[in-house]
Amino acid sequence: MATEESTSDGLGRSTALRLQHLKGRLFEVALVAATLVGIVSLLALFAQISIDAFQPGSASPTWFLVYLGTLVAPTAAFTLYARRRPAVRETNAKAFAAVFGGLLLSFVTYAVVDSLSPYDVFTYVFFTSLPPAIVVAYDRTTDDRTFTGPAIPASIVVGLAVAALLYDVVRGPIGIAAEWIMYFGLVTVPAALLIGTLTASRRGRRSGVVAGGSVIVGGLAVAVASIVTGTNAAFPVVLFSAFVVPTGYVLWRSVRTDPEGRVGVAGPFVLLGGTLLGAAVVGQFGIQNPDTFLTPTLLLESWDGLRANNAGVYPQIVGSIIIVGFMAVLAFPVGIGAAIYLEEYAPDSGLRGRLATLLEINISNLAGVPSVVYGLLGLALFRRTLGFGTGIVFSAAGTLGLLILPIVIVSTQEALRAVPDALRQGSYGMGASRWQTLREVVLPEAIPGTLTGTILALARAIGETAPLVIIAVATTKYSPPSGLFSSATALPLQIFAASANAKPEFRHGVVPAAAVVLLILMLLMNATAIVIRNKYGREH
Amino acid sequence: MSSESNETASLQRSGFVVRKERLYGRLIAACAVLTIVVTVGIILALSGRALSFWSQISPIAYFTGTSWSPVIAQNYGVLPLISGTLIVTVCSAVIALPIGLAAAVYLSEYASDKARSILKPSLEILAGVPTVIYGYMALVYITPAFKGVFPSLRTFNALSASIVVGIMIIPMVSSISEDALSAVPDSLRQGGYGLGSTKFDVSTKIVVPSATSGIVASYVLAISRAIGETMAVTMAMGMSPQMPYFPDLFRNLAESGQTITAAMVQIANADSLGTGPTYEAMFALGMTLFAITLTMNVFAELVRRRFREEY
Repeated sequence: MATEESTSDGLGRSTALRLQHLKGRLFEVALVAATLVGIVSLLALFAQISIDAFQPGSASPTWFLVYLGTLVAPTAAFTLYARRRPAVRETNAKAFAAVFGGLLLSFVTYAVVDSLSPYDVFTYVFFTSLPPAIVVAYDRTTDDRTFTGPAIPASIVVGLAVAALLYDVVRGPIGIAAEWIMYFGLVTVPAALLIGTLTASRRGRRSGVVAGGSVIVGGLAVAVASIVTGTNAAFPVVLFSAFVVPTGYVLWRSVRTDPEGRVGVAGPFVLLGGTLLGAAVVGQFGIQNPDTFLTPTLLLESWDGLRANNAGVYPQIVGSIIIVGFMAVLAFPVGIGAAIYLEEYAPDSGLRGRLATLLEINISNLAGVPSVVYGLLGLALFRRTLGFGTGIVFSAAGTLGLLILPIVIVSTQEALRAVPDALRQGSYGMGASRWQTLREVVLPEAIPGTLTGTILALARAIGETAPLVIIAVATTKYSPPSGLFSSATALPLQIFAASANAKPEFRHGVVPAAAVVLLILMLLMNATAIVIRNKYGREH
Repeated sequence: MSSESNETASLQRSGFVVRKERLYGRLIAACAVLTIVVTVGIILALSGRALSFWSQISPIAYFTGTSWSPVIAQNYGVLPLISGTLIVTVCSAVIALPIGLAAAVYLSEYASDKARSILKPSLEILAGVPTVIYGYMALVYITPAFKGVFPSLRTFNALSASIVVGIMIIPMVSSISEDALSAVPDSLRQGGYGLGSTKFDVSTKIVVPSATSGIVASYVLAISRAIGETMAVTMAMGMSPQMPYFPDLFRNLAESGQTITAAMVQIANADSLGTGPTYEAMFALGMTLFAITLTMNVFAELVRRRFREEY
């Protein structure tokens, strides 16, 4: 009797246990599903939007086979090969970053400088970099550096003022020179200085001069070659100085210093070579290409509201980049300064401590203010109070700058908080002042975290639409902005305006393609931020 | 003689260093104070024109009017806009709050380090996608897909707008809730296990209740974000302000409507820039919106501060 009872009891308990176990499993599955549901639905929508933009259905099956053979298979094989070898994988990642970063840098530099007029950019850059260069040169020759630190920013301001004063006098003579000379001064000379300094620090002054000199000579050779062949020398010079030179330097160093991983350098070239080879084969045999909307026309032409095949978003892309770039110049120094004050300077108690608490609460509230409200602020500030024109770059950048200010402050604060206090104490112990500690110890440690936060803020700003609509930035313009006070347009605004166009080739074609361009810009920024975070985030 | 002049020079220099340091300190303090200036600027910018609007249109008519038709009928009743905002907010909250909390529980209690390192950034992408793209996807992909299921759905409707707003506020709930859940001390979990609880019981009956205030804060912030969301609702929900339908609640989702933010975009997009009560109504709407979100944010901050002090 007794044994029977205990067995039935045991059975009951084990059923209850099993039920409980099942409940736990089901709960976990539900949690996983909930975590994934947002991500999966977004991926499905992204897939829809990219299918509309790329139109893979219109390509012949042979097209897919060709690219499978030339592009997908070799790249996949190389990736699998690199996966198992950490050294190769690391070099491969570095090579990818160098090649595509260099390409992107050259295109962006050329597009931005071209739309702002290379002569103007050169004039201002020349006058604002000459005085600090003189100060730095003086700094090298003297032991007493008390005065040179503050002199650098002061000299930049002086240079800017001189440039503004002399602009009318100088602009005429500079305008006589060929366009490529401006790009040579803007891109090739800094590239030569950079390569020269890097080489000099590694292998002595003489090698540095040789390396820098060869970059200059190479740039001149490229210019001469393109003039002889009758093409515009400006873009080749930029491509040489902002892509070939820095990428070549990074790759060459990888090959020289890293015998284990040097195969990884081939990664990006497998990809690029596969694409070119595929295009050659497709062209040779007349294989049906897809009727994609992601064409050079989209990237290089201006908008056409009637014919989808002529519609492009070049002015919008360049406008977005200029607005966001100028916004960074306006907002980042202020945001980083405010974060430094709150983390490093503000006392915990007393009147100033209260002020600091008030500032913190205020910043977290500002982060929660809807972006349309910032639009109203921008409208009142830039249009009514300062009397600027409608929809100019300055107003747009200023409005977005105010919007991202709290994000920059909070992320910089986090980065500063992550710097261990022992480093500060050590620096103070050696007699360094507060500012010296900050500049030489704390800020260098906090750079990766700050960079991550600021890049994320840029990614947020490039997609912002509502404040730009409120301050009446034009939706469609046919040329990129020609200066900071010229009217601009931005990529998300064009998507907003064109979403009302019900023609199928717009609704399921050009607009998704423009959205893909915007998404790629945003994802690139996010990926950069995540890479920086993962690379430097584990140190402390 | 020479040593004396040296000394004077070095004294002068150290005096300069002190002044330099003080100047730098003042400069960055000015940067921090600028954030207060921004807040004051927002309040001034909004209140000036909003007050001018309310001197022309009585606040009673504004807050109790049931028709918003600024251009045609000169009706400035904000209730239809508040109703549109509420519909989107409630509906997106129904989607995002449970999903966000579940994701937070998974990330904090169940996920392995590797899964977390992949899932967390992917969830954050949900909040990083530009809202125009969300609006476009709602209009062009979600609405046609749902039209097959609910034929009464309009081209512009509250349902697809709420879905995308719900998706974009998930990370707000999940990341702040996850911080609150991770802040629950491990000793509480160990205590639960020691009493023979399963992981399910520990998660639902110990960890989540202990983090209630943080979770509530995340909910309030997410709802405040949904209220302020602009482009997605403008593009997907349309421009026709409606009072809510009773008792057919589903009709509220199927019909188009207009939120406070969408009304502001509509006014800004119109040509009549700069003058008139319609233009000033935009600032009155902005003031309303700012007041609502500010109240919610302050409330969330207060709740959050309380929970920080607990452990």
